[in-house]
Amino acid sequence: MAQEGRTFSESWHRVADLQVSLRASVVVRKQLFRGKTWYVLQDSFNNQFFRLRPEAHEFIIRLRNDRSIASVWEECLQRNPSGAPGQDDVIQLLAQLYHANLLYCDLPVDSSKLFERHQQRKQRETKAKYLSLMFYRIPLFDPEILLRHCQPLVKLLTSRLAFYLWLALFFFAGKTVIENFELVQSEAKTLLAFDNLVLLYLSMVLVKTLHEFGHTLICKRFGGEVHTIGVMLIFFTPLPYMDATSSWSFRSRRERILVASAGMIYEFFAAGLAALLWASTGPGTLHSLAFNMMFVASVSTLVFNINPLLRYDGYYILSDLLDIPNLQSRSIEQLKHLAHRYLFGDQQSTSNAATRSEAAWLGSYGLLSGVYRVIVYGGIILFIADRFLLLGLLMAVFCIFTWGIRPAIRFISFLYSSPKLQKNRPRAVAVSLLSLTLLLLSLYGAPFPKSFLAPGIVEAKSYQRVVNSSAGQVAEVLMKTGSKVEIGAPLVALNNPELIHEKMSIVAQRAEVAALLQQSMALQGGNTREMLKKRLATLDSKLDKNLQQEQDLLVTAKRSGIWVSPNNHELKGLWLARGTELGKIVSPEQFRFTAVVSQDEAANLFNNKVTGDIAVRLTGQSNSEVQVPKFDMIPFQQERLPSAALGWASGGDIPISAEDEKGLLTVEPFFRIYADLEPSEEVVLNHGHSGLIRFKLESEPLLQQILRKARQFLQKRYQT
Amino acid sequence: MILPAKDYQSLQTLRPAKLHQGFDRLANNLLGRSKRRDSLKQQWLELAKSIHQAAEKHQTLSDQQLQAALNQQRQLFRRRKQDDETLLPDALALLVEAADRTLGMRPFPVQVLGAIMIYHGYIAEMATGEGKSLTACLPAVLFAWSDRPCHIITTNDYLALRDAKQMSVFYRFCRLTTGCVGSDMTNAERQENYQKGVVYTTSKELLADFLRDRLQLGNCAQSDRRLLKKKLKSNKHSETEIVMRGINAVIVDEADSVLIDEAVTPLIISQTQQNKPLSEAITLASQFAQQLKNDLDYRVNKRHREVTLTESGEKTVAELTIDLPGLWQSDSRRNELIVTALTAKELYQKDQQYVIDDDKVVIVDEFTGRMMPQRTWRQGLHQSVEVQEGLELSDPSETQARLSFQRFFRLFHKLGGMSGTVQESAEELWHIYNLPILAVPTNRPCARKQLPNRYHWDKQSKWQTICAEVIACQQNGQPVLIGTRSIADSQLLAEMLREQGISLQLLNAINHHEETEIITSAGQLGKVTIATNMAGRGADIKLGKGVAKLGGLHVIVSERHESQRIDRQLIGRCARQGQPGSYRLYSSLEDDILQRFGNKPLLTILRNKLSANGVENQKMFEKALRLAQQSAEKQAFDQRAMVTKTDDWLTDALSFVRTETLPD
Repeated sequence: MAQEGRTFSESWHRVADLQVSLRASVVVRKQLFRGKTWYVLQDSFNNQFFRLRPEAHEFIIRLRNDRSIASVWEECLQRNPSGAPGQDDVIQLLAQLYHANLLYCDLPVDSSKLFERHQQRKQRETKAKYLSLMFYRIPLFDPEILLRHCQPLVKLLTSRLAFYLWLALFFFAGKTVIENFELVQSEAKTLLAFDNLVLLYLSMVLVKTLHEFGHTLICKRFGGEVHTIGVMLIFFTPLPYMDATSSWSFRSRRERILVASAGMIYEFFAAGLAALLWASTGPGTLHSLAFNMMFVASVSTLVFNINPLLRYDGYYILSDLLDIPNLQSRSIEQLKHLAHRYLFGDQQSTSNAATRSEAAWLGSYGLLSGVYRVIVYGGIILFIADRFLLLGLLMAVFCIFTWGIRPAIRFISFLYSSPKLQKNRPRAVAVSLLSLTLLLLSLYGAPFPKSFLAPGIVEAKSYQRVVNSSAGQVAEVLMKTGSKVEIGAPLVALNNPELIHEKMSIVAQRAEVAALLQQSMALQGGNTREMLKKRLATLDSKLDKNLQQEQDLLVTAKRSGIWVSPNNHELKGLWLARGTELGKIVSPEQFRFTAVVSQDEAANLFNNKVTGDIAVRLTGQSNSEVQVPKFDMIPFQQERLPSAALGWASGGDIPISAEDEKGLLTVEPFFRIYADLEPSEEVVLNHGHSGLIRFKLESEPLLQQILRKARQFLQKRYQT
Repeated sequence: MILPAKDYQSLQTLRPAKLHQGFDRLANNLLGRSKRRDSLKQQWLELAKSIHQAAEKHQTLSDQQLQAALNQQRQLFRRRKQDDETLLPDALALLVEAADRTLGMRPFPVQVLGAIMIYHGYIAEMATGEGKSLTACLPAVLFAWSDRPCHIITTNDYLALRDAKQMSVFYRFCRLTTGCVGSDMTNAERQENYQKGVVYTTSKELLADFLRDRLQLGNCAQSDRRLLKKKLKSNKHSETEIVMRGINAVIVDEADSVLIDEAVTPLIISQTQQNKPLSEAITLASQFAQQLKNDLDYRVNKRHREVTLTESGEKTVAELTIDLPGLWQSDSRRNELIVTALTAKELYQKDQQYVIDDDKVVIVDEFTGRMMPQRTWRQGLHQSVEVQEGLELSDPSETQARLSFQRFFRLFHKLGGMSGTVQESAEELWHIYNLPILAVPTNRPCARKQLPNRYHWDKQSKWQTICAEVIACQQNGQPVLIGTRSIADSQLLAEMLREQGISLQLLNAINHHEETEIITSAGQLGKVTIATNMAGRGADIKLGKGVAKLGGLHVIVSERHESQRIDRQLIGRCARQGQPGSYRLYSSLEDDILQRFGNKPLLTILRNKLSANGVENQKMFEKALRLAQQSAEKQAFDQRAMVTKTDDWLTDALSFVRTETLPD
């Protein structure tokens, strides 16, 4: 509140005669940040920190219990007339130190004030706790004494030997994973399946506990202290946490970075062990658990912990790498300063960044992390609201209050009554109103392109199934799938030894009957001969049939077109009963795309005109599009998918009913759309290929779009 | 000898609670509204009327009987035997009669209503000229009967002395002594006066004495400590001399001026201390400041009264001071010195912010137009002004104690007051001082006549029109009072009128010695009086013989002030207590209020249109003036909010500082 930097203060008389000093338990350490010297005060009793500039440090270390503040200040002024802090600075500094409980006062302090302060602090803490309900911390115990007892273990676990072991494990585990990469891929698909969630969570707790102990160990290794271990409820999901703030006072940047990354280092160790365990066990709970741990310890680390935009390990590492402590809060300060200076036109606003590059870092970090937070928090709210009905809604309301409404109210009251804006209030209000209007206008007035996607598959309009008319073992597939075939082109060669045996037996029988017929011609008459002749005829026809069947072993194309048989490389050696479908021959000119459109989006097609292009992108060929000249919508709801490939069971996006084994029956009814496809040279159309169709609709203001989505969402959630 | 109980009382103050914030504040506002409800006023008005009637009966009592009855009441109040409510009507009825007998003024029912309000800790809003001084006497007696100190705050020494003299008969009749503390009194005089039952003084004196007493006591403000010290130390010489009896009840006359306008800056007790380096630096800084150019090297913000150096200015200063030692080599210190010198050069003008009296720079109070010889501006600034005037540099003063009026008035157990113009500040008074406001109806209908406002392009033509109007009044014999904003303006106008051969009397800070005579004669036939704000609050101008027939006193407001309230105070000098009177408001586009706080686009439009046709745009002109006054009031409000905020911050931040010496 006091003006900054004035040499003489009107409040000086209140502190001038005081005799104060730093508390005996305060340790002062020198640190270098961006080439500038700072001093960090730390009190190990209450774990409070304070950072000082050298000039302030000069003043603070001279404070003694037998000297008045005024005499110390005068001495500083004489020693360094240009750099010594002004009286206002001194008052500010003393107040901050006192509030950080780092100051010792000779006189007994006004105890009622002390209690008041304590109460206020408590209130503040409670308030902060409830406001960060989504990251609620429950401290459990102080591990410091335990850790001291385990000092040898700490040494062992952080020794050079441990590091080599870590390297070796990392190498072997990496090798194992690469060798089994395909298996990893296939198992990863089921990771988020419902029945795996418990295991996933369990492994997360295990890995995160290890992670936290990692921080603890390294912190301890470099002489820090750890006083809190507890449970943090991240969106009501309990996970362990620990407090390694004592590392902030470490002198060496390397040590601070190591402490911050310790969690990840030990996590990787766990990932390595888990990988080896996973590779050496067969399917079972242990196997799955190992896989989950491996996954959590590697992927989550890379995705969450190393990301510096949220306040996890990566943030502290970046903060140390950039040599900017308190990166987050200072970047917010910097953004505020920028807004004050350039938006509100306050020429007196000064940046807290010492250099241009620091200012640039602070500004860009503030901006990036701000945007990122909005996206992440927004995503989380939507996700939770989507998954859990009432609780989700409550949480969403809570989050909207703490992250949306509360800051808005604070901003308004800031605009209205902040003394900082005394000189620029009209401009500040005008700028704020203008940006709000612009925002609303762009949301409400300016049309925004609108489109939606629907999954579907490519189908040939006309096709012929290719079926083997005689049973047999597949000897060879003669045509690759997707190749163009003419009539009579051989497709698949079958092999059936039984047919040969049958033929041999028929030929033998025929020879026998023919011999008998000759004999009967010589011996007696009519009756027997007639019978034999009939028999011969029967055998002849059998032989013909056999020959036909033998011919049929070579399956040929009955019409010209494209031979589609997606899985035919798996056929070889397989015994096929008669009538098995081997594939299709489809006419190349006539494909259509059958898309599945949900009810919500179908409304768009009913109400809005489709303006722009409609295009289809096929899976695996997503860099080129197929244009759709026209489409038809079947105007009644259906519940059976055109192909199982679109449903959940086969990796599609559409929820399907658990009752249906074929995976065709959907949970919600849908509309079917037939879209003609324009043949193009770039895209190979294959029958049964899945893809997405995109409809561009008439542009509509963003706000309307958002409101409609919200309405549809609520209707879907709470009325059906 | 120290009487422990008395000694305890003399330093005991209320411990003010923190100001309400957020939702608490909203709820508190609602409470304030309910305290200002009309039904309460009606109820008290009935009570006042019945008291007034009951007082009629006492007319038959002899003086002895009346005094005996008063004495009995005094005993009751002294012992606080019964509940206030039952005690109040009887006591007030006796006091009404006593006032009639001693002063020859019988309080009207509305004045009794005002007394009831003040007694209950309200601010009574009474129209100007309704006899506030008499109203304050009644609750003052009730408070003083308890034998605890009772102070009545007036806006200036002159009024304090006048009221104390005038009312002392009444107090004496009620067995109370009367004191008066003015700025030119010695410590012994002060001590003597503070011992009296009812003490008239100004807020600045009271607060300053309060602070000096506390400084005097050092860290022995607690009575038990002091008693111990006394017992342990044998030599009687170290006995600390404090002048006050303590603080308990206070009645603030012109509450808006004291509690709102003057509360913008805290009171500071300082001690001069030789500081050669500073004096030298200031002299140098003033020289450098002369070499800098406005708008190139620095910018002046008239509205907020501050100067900022531009980048090129900073560079120039750095080049100028490159060979100078220590202090000048730090950017912030150097700029601070230069800015101080520039502030003195640009924003402090002779006969506006200060006058030169006896070769010394004396500050003129912005609101009362009076000299404040004991006050100095903050370190460096005062010296810069002295350099500018070519005077010998005084020693810079060092703050020893500092207390805001906002905090000070919250230390009282009982706080009440009255004012003519306070309604606008109701919320603020409730928020900060817990003071509710109720309006007292006027005794007689007001016969004040407003003549149409006049608007001018520039000051020159405005002064000329004023001269013409004064001459016209003079010919009729109607007395005129012209209010100006600054001493310089008052002198300019006096010069102009004298050239026209008009004899007049001039009242401003420079010739303040003749104040009493000027005020008493201002209402006489054919008198022309020019006055700064000094003739604002409290000046009771009695009309001469035959003046009422001519239309009473005519008041010319030559320029609008920063707050409408001050304008209304000046207007309130005419048509007092049902007498006739008239006033006219003048303004020009060059007026200070428009220059500093005017809405720029609106002024441009006015400037263009006014030249074409002055009459049609009067509404717009009036609007511009209102807007300017509003924004000036808002700024003053922000400043006061800042004062309380700084107070709170300091209390909070420096809570390790022992708080016995000063109530923080």
